[in-house]
Amino acid sequence: MINKILSALRELNISTYSITETRSWSAEAFFIRRAMDLKRRTTLKDYMVSVYVESEENGQKFVGDSVVPVYPGMDGAELKETLRLAYHAASFVRNPYYPLFDSGKKEMVPSKSAFAGKTLEKAIQVMAEALFSCDTEGDAFVNSAEFFAVKKIMRVVNSAGTDVSWETFNVNGEYVIQCLAPEDVETHHTFNFGEPDVDTFRADVEHAMKQTRDRARAKEAAPAGKYTVILSGDQVNTIMSYYADRADASMIYQHYSDYAVGKNVQGEQIEGDPLTILLKASEPYDRQGIPLCDRTLMEDGVIKTIPGSARMAYYLGIEPTGVYRWIQVPTGSVPFEEMKKQPYLHIVLFSDFQMDSMTGHFGGEIRLAYLYDGENVKLVTGGSMNGSILDAQQHMVFSTDRYQSALYDGPFAVAIKDVTVAGIGAEA
Amino acid sequence: MKVKPSPYILSVRPLLKELLAELEKSYPYASILAADSREKSYSVNRRLSSISGSGMMSARGFVVKVFDGKHWSEHSFNSITKEEIPDILDQIHETAAMSAAALPEGIAENEYTAPQEEETVFSDSTQYQNDPEELGDDVILEKMKAVRDRGLAVSGQILDCVVRINWNRTSKLFLSPKKDLEQNILWTTGMAGTIAAKGQEIKSSFRSVSALGGMELLDQLGADVEEAAKTTIELLDSLPMVAGEYDCVCSPEVTGMIVHEAFGHGVEMDMFVKKRAQAEQFIGQYVASPLVTMHDGAAAYEQTGSYFFDDEGTMAHDTVVIDKGVLKTGISDYQSARILGTEPTGNGRRESYRRKAYTRMTNTWFEGGTDSVEDMIASIDYGFLLEQPRSGMEDPKNWGIQCMVSIAREIRDGKLTGKIYSPIVLTGYVPDLLKSIRMMSPSPELSGSGFCGKGYKEWVKVSDGGPYMKARIRLG
Repeated sequence: MINKILSALRELNISTYSITETRSWSAEAFFIRRAMDLKRRTTLKDYMVSVYVESEENGQKFVGDSVVPVYPGMDGAELKETLRLAYHAASFVRNPYYPLFDSGKKEMVPSKSAFAGKTLEKAIQVMAEALFSCDTEGDAFVNSAEFFAVKKIMRVVNSAGTDVSWETFNVNGEYVIQCLAPEDVETHHTFNFGEPDVDTFRADVEHAMKQTRDRARAKEAAPAGKYTVILSGDQVNTIMSYYADRADASMIYQHYSDYAVGKNVQGEQIEGDPLTILLKASEPYDRQGIPLCDRTLMEDGVIKTIPGSARMAYYLGIEPTGVYRWIQVPTGSVPFEEMKKQPYLHIVLFSDFQMDSMTGHFGGEIRLAYLYDGENVKLVTGGSMNGSILDAQQHMVFSTDRYQSALYDGPFAVAIKDVTVAGIGAEA
Repeated sequence: MKVKPSPYILSVRPLLKELLAELEKSYPYASILAADSREKSYSVNRRLSSISGSGMMSARGFVVKVFDGKHWSEHSFNSITKEEIPDILDQIHETAAMSAAALPEGIAENEYTAPQEEETVFSDSTQYQNDPEELGDDVILEKMKAVRDRGLAVSGQILDCVVRINWNRTSKLFLSPKKDLEQNILWTTGMAGTIAAKGQEIKSSFRSVSALGGMELLDQLGADVEEAAKTTIELLDSLPMVAGEYDCVCSPEVTGMIVHEAFGHGVEMDMFVKKRAQAEQFIGQYVASPLVTMHDGAAAYEQTGSYFFDDEGTMAHDTVVIDKGVLKTGISDYQSARILGTEPTGNGRRESYRRKAYTRMTNTWFEGGTDSVEDMIASIDYGFLLEQPRSGMEDPKNWGIQCMVSIAREIRDGKLTGKIYSPIVLTGYVPDLLKSIRMMSPSPELSGSGFCGKGYKEWVKVSDGGPYMKARIRLG
């Protein structure tokens, strides 16, 4: 199909283009309690074609682009008309000029995942077996689960000379744990594994079972007020995503962020842990075909890299790094158990924990938290937390205990002082 | 004018009929859904503009669902020619037989009985006034730039003004032994948002428009962008919310978010099948104030959640979910209805042909009442007018609320004081909130600019809304 697209582009005299091909295969299984309710498979080929129109006015260069999906079922006439209309659309878009990135012609990078040696059905069986092996005690159990085993081969070809391809495997999905007594409650969990790491998955599920039992016993919200809040697991990743978002070249180019290499973004008077964040290459290339390598985003609160696409990097006059999704954070300064020696509110389950990278506000509704008043630990549920990274960033303390998930490798927990919690009664 | 059918779907229809005939030789039941969904997104801001046809809803392909006498399986693919049919059949057979390889030891497979269908042949299209493709990319971009310039001109404090327009034209064909259904739908959405900075904090406000139709809504954005810019400037001086329970007036958009997130997800009946929804225990009981009557349905309102038949071939409904405060029924897909012994309500929807069908909302809304907004505000000693919903998350099992809104306008002694609080998290127990509703304005307003997920995935186009309403809500 790529040759068919290249031929149509040539016939239309479209000389600047980028083609992304995604061939994907999936096996999917949907469970209700301990029975499979539906099975699915997909076999797909997808193509996205970007076409570019360059122009010049008063010595200034411009480029317009438009991207269209191209489908395997398109005949020659429809393909040509689709690309012609895309080129026509691009002629009305006038942005500052940027060149496409040239990654050269490279051999396909095969996946190193141990999933690659299994069929997609077998990958589901291995991970489903891990889930249901934890479903042994009556009070908390697997209510339902969905598994998606996906193999992809991506290829990026552009007119600058890039022709790269790589393979990925993963098993992702979600499961719901239910506990019937004393209150009938559930907790919802997602997962994404690039390797058949059944031990980690079992540990996650066991942890989810314990949280669900605790939620069933939690009766009321914490009193409204300000707390030292502890966040843990993927919530720490969500907090850290603020810095990756603000440092992104597109935010800086649009003047939504004033981050720059060398800028201390954490502040001068750091009472907590100085922040260091690394960008990790989770795949050999990003979606534009730019090679990814591990980089330091910030070190001790100071920005070291502005990550960005070829376009945004060109606009800012910096190296195009590609777009990263996986971050790594070094170990913090305080053991998790030490962190819990002072009064705290450890919020372990939100309905949907959110970080707004524009305003810096983070928060959500509390589904389960552990409230320690200095003497006793109490289970609480309900109410909400609403904080600001701008207020918190100088005194955040991270744990020495670590946590790893699909897109995060770093401290398990962070403690943040004076966070507002809406709970029982009016705030003092 | 009516939306035209997809030439591609018309061209492959004979091949799909041939495939279905082959499947009927091997299976007691089989269906095929073909979808051709084209969309175009336009974006303009101070520095950049873009045109893209690669949006989330762009997709062309097929899903075959087969019943082997006991179990269901599905196969999704996106290429069909006469020569490919034997290979497609092999893949469908392999999918139907995949249980042995995928099931862990000791895990069973649910068994079903054969589906029952009535003979139905249907073909229809939605209407529009201005065809986006006839209007042209250049005209659309120029109109959007004019809207952007109006937003930027409101104040020197406006850092940026972002204008976005999306249109989507979807054609679907559903074939089964007794059904031959065709539909063609066009919807358009738009958004004008403004951005201003106060130190490191970026504040923003937006107005959105949506319609089951074409570019006729474009002119409305120009009128709304100046209001968005004024709100953004107001937000620069917003205060942090003091946590507590307050009398609140909800704008139609906030009412819509409460209808959708707090209650709508809880009556999706695939959650009843999994015993994940508390609502199942409350059918026939008061769950809301007697002022509340709630609808959901692709045929309940003309908005972006509208269609003629769902992705399982069930015709669209207008379902009264709550009637004067009493929960009457949930909404359901075909398979859930079969298990529960109820009638399907035309709510079986897929994100695309690539994904499974779930019970999903469509156009979801509260009917209006008889109170004026002025009377609502005048009735409050201390409280807030809530505007601009940001996001929400469902909790069908425990009826917990999480809704985020951008703006709470302070009301003191029956008057707006001019003070704004932001951002706000709404929490509480759904029936408590719905039973606390004391006043509702006459006219419901629906907005369909967003998408709805099931958990964190499976995005479908929906609309929601209602009237202004007064309720008691915990804010934080």
